[in-house]
Amino acid sequence: MNQFIKQKNRFILLMLMPATILLVGLTLFPFIVSFILSFTDYSLLRPGQTKFIFLENYIELMKTDDFWIALRVTVVFTIFAVFIQVVLGVIFANLLHHETRNISFLRTIYLLPLAITPIAATFTFRLMFNPSLGVLNYFMKVLGLPPQAWLASPSTALISLIVVDTWQWTPFILLICLGGLASLPNEPFEAAKVDGANSWQVFSKITVPMLYPFIGLALLFRSIDAFKTFDIIYVLTSGGPGVLTRTLNLYAFKHGIEFLSMGYAGSIAIVMLIITIVVAQIFLRKNKLLQPKDTFK
Amino acid sequence: MKKKQVSHLPPIKKLNLTRRHFIEATSALVGAGILSSYGLPIYAASNVDEMMKMYNNANIDWQSQKGSSIVLSGLEHPWMSSIEPLLPHFKTLTGIDVQVQKQSESEYVAEVPIKLGAGSPSPDVYMVWSYGQAANAGWLESLDQHFDNSDLFDKNWYDLGDIFSSAKSFPVWNDGQSYVMSITAEAQTMFANQNMLDAIGAAVPTTFDELLSTGKKLKTGDVSGVAMRSKADGSAGTWPCGGFVFSNGGVIIQDGKCMLDSAEAIQAVHYYGTILNEAGPLGVGNYHWYECLNDYMQEVCAIGLDSSNFATDIENPEKSNAAGHTTYGAMVSGPGQQAKPNMWHWMAGINSKSEQKAAAFLFLTWANSKPTCLMSSALGLATTRTSAWESDGFKSAFGSQAATAALTNLQNADGKIMKDCWFHPQSGEILTPFGIAINEVVTGTKSAENAMKEATAKINKAIGA
Repeated sequence: MNQFIKQKNRFILLMLMPATILLVGLTLFPFIVSFILSFTDYSLLRPGQTKFIFLENYIELMKTDDFWIALRVTVVFTIFAVFIQVVLGVIFANLLHHETRNISFLRTIYLLPLAITPIAATFTFRLMFNPSLGVLNYFMKVLGLPPQAWLASPSTALISLIVVDTWQWTPFILLICLGGLASLPNEPFEAAKVDGANSWQVFSKITVPMLYPFIGLALLFRSIDAFKTFDIIYVLTSGGPGVLTRTLNLYAFKHGIEFLSMGYAGSIAIVMLIITIVVAQIFLRKNKLLQPKDTFK
Repeated sequence: MKKKQVSHLPPIKKLNLTRRHFIEATSALVGAGILSSYGLPIYAASNVDEMMKMYNNANIDWQSQKGSSIVLSGLEHPWMSSIEPLLPHFKTLTGIDVQVQKQSESEYVAEVPIKLGAGSPSPDVYMVWSYGQAANAGWLESLDQHFDNSDLFDKNWYDLGDIFSSAKSFPVWNDGQSYVMSITAEAQTMFANQNMLDAIGAAVPTTFDELLSTGKKLKTGDVSGVAMRSKADGSAGTWPCGGFVFSNGGVIIQDGKCMLDSAEAIQAVHYYGTILNEAGPLGVGNYHWYECLNDYMQEVCAIGLDSSNFATDIENPEKSNAAGHTTYGAMVSGPGQQAKPNMWHWMAGINSKSEQKAAAFLFLTWANSKPTCLMSSALGLATTRTSAWESDGFKSAFGSQAATAALTNLQNADGKIMKDCWFHPQSGEILTPFGIAINEVVTGTKSAENAMKEATAKINKAIGA
């Protein structure tokens, strides 16, 4: 019997080994390196002259206005983008959940932005936003409205980025919510129908509360991802006008890749990680998303 | 449409370039161009002998590294585009195989430093995006020892006198050694749509004030007067606006200290912002060179002030509506100042960790030699050799008046003040705040004085001045 258990344990260990090695190699190792680097002044410009400077990078970061501006932009971008995406995602999921003749075709159409290479889509948006040759201003003119400097104006740049992010990521929320809706029991809906509830009452009192665990997880995934958004902002505005759309990820990129200050960039990445973990933990605990729920209340 | 050539520049010195010399060098290329467009090998066999003669006149053992293979890394740039079709010829001459790695500029400047910083022996030869960074970090092999190797380099055949003086001085680093070779030459040049100027009866502007007033007159609902880069990025507005600062008597870096808060620099940036605010296109705050060139070629912008290399695209009727009626002019200047346009030489160097340094040096020598430059210039590449600039092939591809304007602007440029900034080991930390400040002025977020003072404080802190 003992022999059998030992063999079984060995088999489990063997099966887990590849995934563990990959995890350590691709996730844990880079994280540990970044963490260590963040306590040094490591710069690719000064090879062999790296010094351990303890918390100096973090203290410098906290004293820099640019960091706080980037943090504010990141938080504003994340909150607004994710909020709009969740609202639209839940509404579209509810509309696309009903089985009608062309619904599967419509679902495919709505999910297309997820399948398109983000960078290709972003370059297309760059052309569309072009103030003199872009299609958006063409339609503005057709409608008799004044053309806009979508990406260059302080009042519209961040909104434009949120629009692009929403276009790209609402289908993600939609997908999760569609899956959630498909798994919901029919009884509460039938009971509501018998009780004479209208569509809005069903949606607000039954669908959304029952869907909440799915919405919560989608919101969490999207928030973590939106907090790290890079490609859209880099291609469309490079953080401008001024630094009004420069997020923490872009700020870290500037220091790490353009200025080659790996230690300082590492400290920005670690601060981002800490913020993400803390916010995610608070969200998960407060909403008890990971605790099993027996029945619908 | 017949090209309208309007010259506002003094004539440049003619070089004694014989017809035979030119025909020898470019006949192969013409054939190659036709053949390559059908996907056939670059050189017809009949031309190879002719080409070989020109290289074999050199006292260089071209076959000394036969059988080796090198990696050439570069960005999407006219130099790569014009050198790539000539590589089969290099292989025939030397027996060295060249693998090409080409990326967009943003990908390139993000990836190559990481690779080099990690001590990778590949690439062997690469286009140097920031000489200060690369030389300071020890990623470049000194070329001086190779110049002294008679097996690899023939000084007389190479003809250093044919190379622009700025292109010769650019590679000399502050330790007196040369780590790179200049491979292209470009200067800030004005390009103006002559039809639009004629329509309002205006001449090509020569001062900041004239540019502002002409630009305002040219601006309509559909067409902007002047388009220049001003995206919030270290690689966008800094180069053209740097030319404004220089042409207003200012500098960016002097004695290791940022001088962007000087009265001259603030006034120049104020002009730059005002011109773009009042005569620029809507959304110019998000314009990089691509948008400027595109607007100009689509005739939704009347005047641009950017790299002389744009001429190749502007004069291509398949791409540009402005082909044939563009006037190229000198850099504008501030009140009572002399125009000092910005300039640039792209450079290529050898990876200090390369395992094929001799082969890499042979490649650089070949790529920068007189015959190769003659051939690449016939494709419109602005090389560093006077003979190439004077060749009929180059003038035909680039435009004769554009070439004259670019040369004059190159002669007027002050390489030293440009190098003090762009060759600084921390050039990224200088140019990014400068680029953001330019953008803030153009988008009206800050005044030139506030933006420049804040940028100067940031830059001085970053570079420890």
